[in-house]
Amino acid sequence: MSAACLSCDDLSIGHEGRPVMSGITFSLRPAEIVAVVGPSGCGKSTLLRALAGLAEPIAGSSRLLGTDLAVAPESERSAALRRIGFLFQSSALWSSLTLRENIELPLREFTGARARERRLLAEHRLAQVGLLDAADKLPAEISGGMAKRAGLARALALDPEVLFLDEPTAGLDPVTTANLDNLIRRIRETLGTAVVLVSHDVPSIERLADFCVYLDSETGRMGQVGKPAEFLATDANPRARAFFTRHREPV
Amino acid sequence: MPESANSHPAVRVTPVAGGLRLELSGDWTKETPLPPFPEPTQVIEWADGGLGRFDSALPAWMIAVEHHCLPAGRPANRDRLPRRLLNGLGLTQTDVAVVEQPRRLGKLERIGEWADLSRRSWARAMAHIGETAVAMLRLPLGKARVNWAEFPRLVRAAGPDALPITLLLGFLTGVIMAYVGLIQLTKVGASIYVANLVGLAMAREMGALMTGVVACGRTSTAYASHLGSMNVTQEADALRVLGIQPVEYLATPRILALLLVLPILSLFATLAGIVGGMAVACGSGMAAEQYVNQVVDAVSVNSFLVGQIKSVAFSVIVAWSGCYRGAVAAPNARGVGEAATTAAVLGITLLVVSDAVFAVLFNLFDFS
Repeated sequence: MSAACLSCDDLSIGHEGRPVMSGITFSLRPAEIVAVVGPSGCGKSTLLRALAGLAEPIAGSSRLLGTDLAVAPESERSAALRRIGFLFQSSALWSSLTLRENIELPLREFTGARARERRLLAEHRLAQVGLLDAADKLPAEISGGMAKRAGLARALALDPEVLFLDEPTAGLDPVTTANLDNLIRRIRETLGTAVVLVSHDVPSIERLADFCVYLDSETGRMGQVGKPAEFLATDANPRARAFFTRHREPV
Repeated sequence: MPESANSHPAVRVTPVAGGLRLELSGDWTKETPLPPFPEPTQVIEWADGGLGRFDSALPAWMIAVEHHCLPAGRPANRDRLPRRLLNGLGLTQTDVAVVEQPRRLGKLERIGEWADLSRRSWARAMAHIGETAVAMLRLPLGKARVNWAEFPRLVRAAGPDALPITLLLGFLTGVIMAYVGLIQLTKVGASIYVANLVGLAMAREMGALMTGVVACGRTSTAYASHLGSMNVTQEADALRVLGIQPVEYLATPRILALLLVLPILSLFATLAGIVGGMAVACGSGMAAEQYVNQVVDAVSVNSFLVGQIKSVAFSVIVAWSGCYRGAVAAPNARGVGEAATTAAVLGITLLVVSDAVFAVLFNLFDFS
């Protein structure tokens, strides 16, 4: 069995020293997809930020590709971060750069690729998300859904070993959502990329996730870890079960 | 439904075993004043006593009554209410009235909070100065990761684009100083020394200071709002997650751009001020040649050097205050606005403070 590329042990996360969610413990192996689920405001995005080193955990520890980002020296931290990709909820494309330049930037900064190769790689990524025609557009000139896809293309630029996706399908139409799901699955299969996915989209989670982590805002602790099907069982955490079954109930 | 005049909302309170029955009648809408809450009790039994029209005002009032009048956690009896009202009550998933209001802080606590905020603010500023210094030191070693692609645009925006306003303000500063100087100097028959006054003041003080103030209003605020916006759109986080330090990547080219252009702008402002003074002096009967000769005699190379040394320091101050306020801006529209405002205020304050320090230092070392 391969070693975990991401693990957290009794992690507590929060804002300005106030814990929002505690007791988060799970580990992720290469080519696995974990979905972090829970009600709005329970700390899913904060957890993602903590795992990627953008926020300091309040207690507990996490290791990303063998590095504890909260205590590692800067060089080790940077080296680990270069092996991940992150799609932000707002896409976070650099607004003064075109889509092509957004993807070329990490290639320029962290690889020895020359201009021609960078262009080729950027276009390859844009083609993967169906945005080759928009390569020379600025982020302000494209729709929210296109920005999400461009953000994913940028997150994939350095062939990440761990991919963090914060609400990748929010605001996308069903066809684009399904295409994006397929793309994520293909990336996992071809590159062996592990994926941490924050989403409210239950069908998408059921299609992609190997296992789910439910954050229970009522108790302020991790409520359940398991395969998506386990959340439908009668002995599942009732709030986690409601999260997975509510959309099936008639209005 | 035909429109009809509102009848006032009313509640008839009758005692029942262990509590009160509250019979609702009339129209309960936002436009009509709601009745006062009944006395606290152990049991509340709601009833329809001829309820007319109602909107969300009625469920809101009922939930507040239940919260104020019943012991915590005890439900009211709603069995006799019409279905449409029960639906309205059902929309409220949380008992809004039980959401605790934040406790108001006492005077001492407010002072403590202010002190803690100040401490954190100073710590953040010191940390940013440290990060900026490290980034600037890494630059000559070739270790800094800097967004050079943006550098030409930053230089153009801070320099050539700011030249017209800098020239105008420099010229007018010279005009004002010459006018004020002439009024006093003419009284003692020394109006010729207006050239010395304007020349020295522009070269040593006003050229650099006015350029710094213009850069604060123009460039520093632009830096703060740009970097602050990057917090809103998570663009700064997108750099961090790649292992790129935003301070190094974004602040370094901005500081360098201002370091490059501000001393030049300061020189232009100084010359424009001297020309402004000449315009006034010539208008009052002094020959242009005489004015120029006086300036050349009065303004030494050291005086120009003083202005240039100041402008170098001012460029770092102006750029840093913009980058710092932008970096710590709250990730929302208000945060960006505040970042721009505070960058200008911080920049101008630091300019004046550092100018005073320079005045003392130059005097101490007799550099004139």
